[in-house]
Amino acid sequence: MRATAPKTPSQRPAMQEPDGFDRLYRDHVDLIYRYAHRLCGETESAKDLVQETFLNAYRGLKDFRGKSQVSTWLYTIASRACIRMRRKRKGQPEHELSLEEFVPTSEGEFRLQIPVDGLTPEEALQNKELRQALEQAIDKLPNKYRMALVLRDMEGLSAKEVGTIMGVNERAVKSRLHRARLFVRRELSARGVIHHDDHKSGGLRS
Amino acid sequence: MTKRKTAAPKKQSGPSSHRHTHGQGHCVGLLRQLSAYIDDELPSDICREIRRHLGACPNCEVFIASLQQTVTLCRHRPAPQLTSVDRMNMRHAILDAANAR
Repeated sequence: MRATAPKTPSQRPAMQEPDGFDRLYRDHVDLIYRYAHRLCGETESAKDLVQETFLNAYRGLKDFRGKSQVSTWLYTIASRACIRMRRKRKGQPEHELSLEEFVPTSEGEFRLQIPVDGLTPEEALQNKELRQALEQAIDKLPNKYRMALVLRDMEGLSAKEVGTIMGVNERAVKSRLHRARLFVRRELSARGVIHHDDHKSGGLRS
Repeated sequence: MTKRKTAAPKKQSGPSSHRHTHGQGHCVGLLRQLSAYIDDELPSDICREIRRHLGACPNCEVFIASLQQTVTLCRHRPAPQLTSVDRMNMRHAILDAANAR
């Protein structure tokens, strides 16, 4: 859910007052922490990313022209910082996801299911195994696909806003989002099949 | 949260005259458009065509249901909250780092 945050360009002068950074931090730290945690998947890296984001924002505050919403500006800083941090940590180039790899090649593959039938999403995510599978699938996504998925499906931003943050057009955002969803679906459904009998006979294991 | 329309696949009522070519162009072509269909971004005539296909193809129907479930799970993925102590400590660390230069 999106937090209420200052959004209008008219707030730029307020941000540049002596307590401008404190306001910026107070109003947006929860938003950026949530985003950082969804991107990083764990607490300490998320806190590092928040600190890096606000440090860069502090340094760039005087140059912020208010052309975008403050939250969009912070999402952009956080996204770039995340790419730098993950590149340092993993040290390997990003790989592309091809649509062809998600085309099912057998009837069984077409019909893989995620074991959540009859449960609300909140109930399904109570299941530790499913929750971990979701987190692992998101973590395995290459950066640009994970960011599109997190910004669009978890932060609730429009494709246009995501494009502004990622520096690409809407079409590219939609393409990345679709591949990211197909990737996560395949990861979850492949696991779901293993425990499909458990589900049928009394629900998910927790 | 931004309001989103979630377009669940709807079965067409009555017998379908759609000629199904499963495993060939139709299913693969559909797969490319599923996110746009779920996000309700496609023109109505293409949505109608997709619904007709889904009504005739159980495999695609299961596939889109699982993709829709994936999106729903992502949208409901919980996110932890910061404590007030965390907020305060991080603010100090940021300002210390900023003033260190």
